[in-house]
Amino acid sequence: MWNPLKCFVSPQSLRDAGVLGMNRRNFDVIAKYNNRRLYPLVDDKVQTKKLAQAADINTPKMIGVIEFQHEVKNFMSIVRDRKEFVIKPAHGSGGKGVLVITENRGSEFVQPSGKILTYHDVYKHISNILSGLYSLGGKYDVALIEELVHFSDIFKNYSYQGVPDVRVIVYKGFPAMAMTRLSTKVSGGRANLHQGAVGVGLDIKTGKSLKAVMYNQPIKLHPDTQADLSKIEVPNWREHLIIGAKAYEMTGLGYLGADIVLDADRGPMMLELNARPGLAIQIANGIGLVKRLEMIDKCFPQNLSAIERVDYVLKKADYMEGVL
Amino acid sequence: MLRKYLSTRFVLTVLLFLSLIYAAFSVYYKITYWGFKFTPKQTSDVWTVEAHINFEPTGEPIKIFLTTPKSSEQFKVLEESVIAEGYTSKKIPSKDGVSAKMRISSPAKEGIQDVYYRVMLFDNVDAKGKTYASKPDAPEKPILDEQTEAVVKQISALAKKQDGNRVVQIIKLLNQVPADPVVQTFLPVKKTSKETMEAIRTILSYQGIPNRIVRGFKLEENRKSFAPDLMLEAYLDNKWMIYNIENAEKGLPDSFVLFQRGGESLIDIEGGQNSSVKFTVLKSVTSSLSLAGKRAKMTGHKSWFDYSIYNLPLSEQNTLKWLTIFPLAILVIVLIRNVVGLKTMGTFTPMLLSMSLIKTGFWPGLICFAVIIALGLTIRFVLSKLNLLLVPRISAVVIFVILIMQLLTVVGYQFKLEMALSAVFFPIIIMAWIIERASITWEEDGAANAGREIFYSLVAAIVTYFIISDEFIRHIMFAFNEINLVILCVVMLLGTYTGYRLTELKRFAPLVKEK
Repeated sequence: MWNPLKCFVSPQSLRDAGVLGMNRRNFDVIAKYNNRRLYPLVDDKVQTKKLAQAADINTPKMIGVIEFQHEVKNFMSIVRDRKEFVIKPAHGSGGKGVLVITENRGSEFVQPSGKILTYHDVYKHISNILSGLYSLGGKYDVALIEELVHFSDIFKNYSYQGVPDVRVIVYKGFPAMAMTRLSTKVSGGRANLHQGAVGVGLDIKTGKSLKAVMYNQPIKLHPDTQADLSKIEVPNWREHLIIGAKAYEMTGLGYLGADIVLDADRGPMMLELNARPGLAIQIANGIGLVKRLEMIDKCFPQNLSAIERVDYVLKKADYMEGVL
Repeated sequence: MLRKYLSTRFVLTVLLFLSLIYAAFSVYYKITYWGFKFTPKQTSDVWTVEAHINFEPTGEPIKIFLTTPKSSEQFKVLEESVIAEGYTSKKIPSKDGVSAKMRISSPAKEGIQDVYYRVMLFDNVDAKGKTYASKPDAPEKPILDEQTEAVVKQISALAKKQDGNRVVQIIKLLNQVPADPVVQTFLPVKKTSKETMEAIRTILSYQGIPNRIVRGFKLEENRKSFAPDLMLEAYLDNKWMIYNIENAEKGLPDSFVLFQRGGESLIDIEGGQNSSVKFTVLKSVTSSLSLAGKRAKMTGHKSWFDYSIYNLPLSEQNTLKWLTIFPLAILVIVLIRNVVGLKTMGTFTPMLLSMSLIKTGFWPGLICFAVIIALGLTIRFVLSKLNLLLVPRISAVVIFVILIMQLLTVVGYQFKLEMALSAVFFPIIIMAWIIERASITWEEDGAANAGREIFYSLVAAIVTYFIISDEFIRHIMFAFNEINLVILCVVMLLGTYTGYRLTELKRFAPLVKEK
């Protein structure tokens, strides 16, 4: 007989597994270590980018910002010398409103799909960004023009459309957990796990895949490309972690999620930061966050530099696993 | 870190404890000294009728004569009072023994005057069946011109073809649809109850049947500001009998209280002009709460009572009765979101929906809601094709919601679907917001997620609805309003709840099952 209660587990067993719940994340972690004053630093991509460049964190360079409607016509002069660029809303989320141009022909612009846009198409797109069409709160937004990332081919077979990024959870400056999100046909090319993207937990020491889940269920192969998900190994892993660790000093946020993409030529680059990273990463890793956070609270030394913290984590990673 | 977290929770726990002690004491106090009850039923047959008289003084000394009810075969007057600053009041018994008058007077005053008369009535079980009757004199024959007299005679003859006694015959004839041509010359087709009454009385008087007007109220809960209902009383076959002048039903309807018999006017004001009288009827709790004031006075606890909400005018009490239930609804929403973990749209959208459901009724409300949302979403999808800017887009959705509501109401009226009429009770902005939000979720996360969000919001609204529509809970929350303070502390304490949400026990289950 089908028993609906079977899908539920006891709170005690979740506690034993060290699962961080939403209430506890909000009350014990975010409210304590993330000062609300700091949120604009990560919610506004322009500010994030400026900070990142100042902190010497590798990130796609900002070409220009368009803040006001009367500046929209200036975008031609901003991108004049650029062959390729990306226009995105500074407060957008989930990839909405991102316009990628791979070829600038002066009066025409070519998208990756080969579609050709005119000056007016781009003009209208930027106007829409400014009016808040893509920012959820409906607030007036600004348009950010930045360099195009040349995604590394490493992930090519692991993703249906979209671009896989690596999400690193950083607690008090120490990388605590990581995963990569692979979009699927079901998720519509998006990287949100609840929409059906594949989440692959990554070993914090090596960047190798631990396990993969889709809709909370473990899977072995990517549903669209049939690539073996257990074979994933993110190159330049230490640099990924360093970017995450540096974001702590950069923003002052005690608990943050850093989204990092791998550029074929320039290595790992920080794309954006999140002050309220979700909890699904625990499912992708098959590991609860609580014990790692507690260990960082209790045993990890303070006053280390970002690189020292990453090395400390790499050294202690076996120990971190062992706790669980 | 640990200390700070402990202290927040500790302080809140202490506060909760204190509020519980206060509430327990207050409940005890109200029961002992004010006579409040836990169940609403025990007092449900006590009614308070409040007349709010409003007028402009002319500058002369003010005298108000208000006709007031006396204990009758159906209702007994428990207590009556006049609330008006600087006025003195005196009761004058009237000759007929059914109604009495209250004289409320004061020296000359300035500015708009508000005078409240409050009477408490309860079911007079002992006196049932005893009828009051004395042989009246034959009525004065009305003086009619020739033409009218002929019409009245014709009507009297026509009426004989109807069933019932002579009075019933006349009432039925005058209310016939379509009206007889003869009747039409006597009484306009679109008649007010006053005109009907006048016509019936003329005919009865012409026939020599004693008759008089009866004014009173049908007691229904939370009736606000209405004019008295008119009934006819006629003396036939050696007894007085009350008739409904619209359907000729005999006898007093249930829960109808007589204010006045005979032709005297309800209110006379000397030294005042532009007067208006509004009546409010309130049942149960509040009535017993009005009793409480008297009780409090007798036991020497009056001053506390003066500063409680139960001493306010009844229309304010009716509003507060509504407000005191809200904290409970808020608590339910907090539980649903933070302990159960359902994702609803916005925090208080479900609460506003449940309030609308109270006004519309459960099923009509749900159906109307579904229709408005479905139509609204369809329209919103067309709008999203147009790629409008944000503010005009949302404004357009709001206007569309208003149009849908108009449409539903008109269609509902034409097809006699009363449920469609309830569309107007939904808050427009909230509906527009639900539509906007749902369509954004739909575009970003797919239809399933949008549907789930609407569904969860509805579930939360329905749960809240069943709680705030329960009469017992409403009684408790109003009569013992100190519970609001306890709820406040519980809500704040829930703000420190760090345990798992019910939905997380399922969401994170894979993390446990592997072990």
